[in-house]
Amino acid sequence: MRHVKSKVLLVALAALGITMVSGSAGVSIFAQEGGGLPEGFKKGELAPLPSAEMIEAGKRVYFTKCVWCHGVDGAGDGPAADRLWPRPRNFNQGTFKIRRTASGELPLFDSKKPVEAENDLFATVTHGLPGSAMPSWEGILTEEQRLQVLSFVTTQLIKDRKFDDKATETQTVLQLDEIKPIPVSKESLEKGAQLIVDKKCIECHGVTGRGDGNAFNLKDDWGFPIQPANWHKCWNFRGSRQDPYNIKNIFRTFSTGVSGTPMPSFADNTTVEERWHIANFVNSLCERDPEGNPLPIDPLTDKPKVNFVIRSGPVLEGEISDDPENEMWQKRERRIVLFGGQITHKPRNFVNRIDDVWVKSLYNDKNIVFLFQWDDRSKSVAEGKLPWQPTEVNVENYGVKEQAPKTGEGDSIAAQQSKYPVYNDAFAFQFPVKWQELPAPIKPRYLWGDQKYPVDIVKWEANGTIKAFTGTGWDQDFQDRDDYTEKLKVLKQEWKDGRWTLMVSRPIKEDYDEDTYFEMGKYIPTVFFAWDGHNGDAGRKMAVSAFYYTVLEPPIPRETYIYPTLIAIGVVILEGWVLTRRANKKKGKV
Amino acid sequence: MKVLIGSVLGGLVVVLIALLAFGVLPATSLKLVEGYMPMQMLFELGASVAIFAVMSYLLGQGGVQLSRFWQGILFWAYVLLYLKFRVYPPIPFSVRAMYGTVTLIAVFMWVSSNEEDWKKFKQPIMNVLDANTGFHKALRTVYLIALPILLWGFSYSSFLPNLDEPVELRTVHPAPPASTKVHGKTFVLQTSQNPYRVNPEGKYDQEYTNARIVEQAMGRLMKPDANPWDEKAEGYLKYVREGGEIFFQNCHFCHGDNLNGRGLHAFAFNPIPANFTDPGTIAQLQETFIFWRVSKGGIGLPNEGFPWASVMPPWEQHLTTDEIWKVILFEYWHTGYYPRTWD
Repeated sequence: MRHVKSKVLLVALAALGITMVSGSAGVSIFAQEGGGLPEGFKKGELAPLPSAEMIEAGKRVYFTKCVWCHGVDGAGDGPAADRLWPRPRNFNQGTFKIRRTASGELPLFDSKKPVEAENDLFATVTHGLPGSAMPSWEGILTEEQRLQVLSFVTTQLIKDRKFDDKATETQTVLQLDEIKPIPVSKESLEKGAQLIVDKKCIECHGVTGRGDGNAFNLKDDWGFPIQPANWHKCWNFRGSRQDPYNIKNIFRTFSTGVSGTPMPSFADNTTVEERWHIANFVNSLCERDPEGNPLPIDPLTDKPKVNFVIRSGPVLEGEISDDPENEMWQKRERRIVLFGGQITHKPRNFVNRIDDVWVKSLYNDKNIVFLFQWDDRSKSVAEGKLPWQPTEVNVENYGVKEQAPKTGEGDSIAAQQSKYPVYNDAFAFQFPVKWQELPAPIKPRYLWGDQKYPVDIVKWEANGTIKAFTGTGWDQDFQDRDDYTEKLKVLKQEWKDGRWTLMVSRPIKEDYDEDTYFEMGKYIPTVFFAWDGHNGDAGRKMAVSAFYYTVLEPPIPRETYIYPTLIAIGVVILEGWVLTRRANKKKGKV
Repeated sequence: MKVLIGSVLGGLVVVLIALLAFGVLPATSLKLVEGYMPMQMLFELGASVAIFAVMSYLLGQGGVQLSRFWQGILFWAYVLLYLKFRVYPPIPFSVRAMYGTVTLIAVFMWVSSNEEDWKKFKQPIMNVLDANTGFHKALRTVYLIALPILLWGFSYSSFLPNLDEPVELRTVHPAPPASTKVHGKTFVLQTSQNPYRVNPEGKYDQEYTNARIVEQAMGRLMKPDANPWDEKAEGYLKYVREGGEIFFQNCHFCHGDNLNGRGLHAFAFNPIPANFTDPGTIAQLQETFIFWRVSKGGIGLPNEGFPWASVMPPWEQHLTTDEIWKVILFEYWHTGYYPRTWD
């Protein structure tokens, strides 16, 4: 992510330069020449239609790559559609989310210009739409092929509008590359923080921007439930163009709106300056490292890079605080754990709403404490008693079903989103029992262990219960470990503004044969599980992580200082020897 | 003139690596082509060797010869930087260390290929050791002091408790069983055939079907006269479409829209899902091997394949045998590879 840093720096420097020359941060040059246009926009020309050859060539690309999601007629109803949320785009109406054109207008598209700044659809196909199923096609399709397939889509599959119809279509283009950003500053962030209240952003995006505002009442143009963006995960912004910390993307989305969704354009009721303050503020909320730098993003996945080791820090004296704001927790390094849907065994979870959790851990001589924080737009607690016992895992017997592959729009996953019965939000993590005896590299299966190698599972549910279980397989009912359950403690559980904070304490050493027995400096395989009660998650329908390792950081041993010193002394002796030899040899020659 | 051309030539390569190293150019901006990465890497390294040779020759002609000593060291540094910054996803340190050592040996062989070269190479080292001039004397003193300090630092950091991710290597294509039982029917891997790989007469026909897969060129597009979505598509192509429908309802979540292992959930998993466009996966395997892997999933792997870590479902829990065969048919069609045969 170094390049992003340097880009941001460049932009900031450039902006600073302009500010110093002009003497003010205002960017009002466009307002004067607009002539009734919103500030920051300019009139554009409709691009000519693509040639018949381009369209014909694009058809071949479309039916090899795109038809599977977007469907034969481009109605967003291909074979994959019913198991996706958001559903694939329905091209027929010509509604596109990410544009530089004014709200309601067609996006920029010119089949002769493979230039992202002048070709919105080309940029979308090139970079994909992170956070959705639309991948980046760069490196897979050539520029020419991308233009060809767009030629086909824009002329043949958009049925309600025509790109060259001068009577109905206009192009009013946001001058994204001409307008100079306002550099990030304390004042700008303060103004932005006030503006998101004044402009009612928080009504949908929530008071802390985790997308928890009006999350269950919003629908897109086609009637499918839709959720507001979580500003803390900028890598999932559809319009991030694989450069999530770039403020311009937020400025663009805010200026032109997201067509087809409840997100409007704010071009008419905000000035360019106000939009930069908002963009600066929203961007500042995205997760960063402790120094305030953007997280490193893996360009192959567009998600933060993962380190699979969770390090638990030693607390040498006293108790471990139950307050996440306490210094010992604040200083502790946090690591991100990414979640995918459990798509191995029925009922599979094709859409998991929880996609990551931040983990911190501390230990002392008695206990190990984990602090989990994850975003969940809703606090879900089941009303009444659930029909199954906490130990039962085969909940499909109780009607928790996975989505059928082809159900039609009305019953697709996208349509179901706000209709699931509400179960408990829950979180669990597992370690192998007797991991010390596992013949490397064997581990118990990631999904609740197996007969030969049982696992130690601790599961918390949003109704406040925490329990210890033994797991012996993906389809085997859990076994209660009541002795251990008594020693588990929930130090903190809180759902606030779209985020769960959960702190769990467990003994470091109990019964060696039944409970995981922690040792310093050893890699203990760990798997995390999360359930979103409003997503109908229960039993095996959940989000699951890959194998991580928990390591209790040992204090630095004395050898660390002794051996290097011995080595250094050895080197000095060696140097002396080489020099003497060389000197003798020369003397001998002379 | 020759000096100018020489230095511009070599300079370009060096500037490129520097841009990559300092992150001005992100590692992904010069795309490594999907599925052809190793060949491309070898080609680029070979090309830069050639460029350096031409540069060295031109500079020599122009009278500005860099000494053997610095040529060797700079080339070694170049290869190390190339491996570190050019290739994405990054190569692990242990592997880079291996390549680095091999390159170092190669450089030594090159500079010691004859007595005269070897002498030229070690001359700068001897100069410092003998310290006949004031400059060399100062240099020697610096080295004598700096070496023990640096080595202390290196060994200190290597003695610090290392809590990096442990490296575990698994076998990607473990030996298959002789036969596999799916939905009550036993399939012998050596003799079973994909029942949907057929010609219009309904006979198993590799030649016919291989002629209708996507073209093996950038984009891997379908042949214009072999569109599975054509309303009139019958037989093989119709089965390909049906296989694709199953793939996009079940498999693309991990293996991706382009079958390159970068699906919607792929980022969360370790090991990452298989990339079928890589010539090292399905292109190397028989269809019956894939049938076994798909039916039994990660849980059915032998231990060397790390069954505990794989989220690959045993697809016999979700699909019929016919559906599994069709998905396999689609995977070969969409990647443009032929399945390997037993003979």
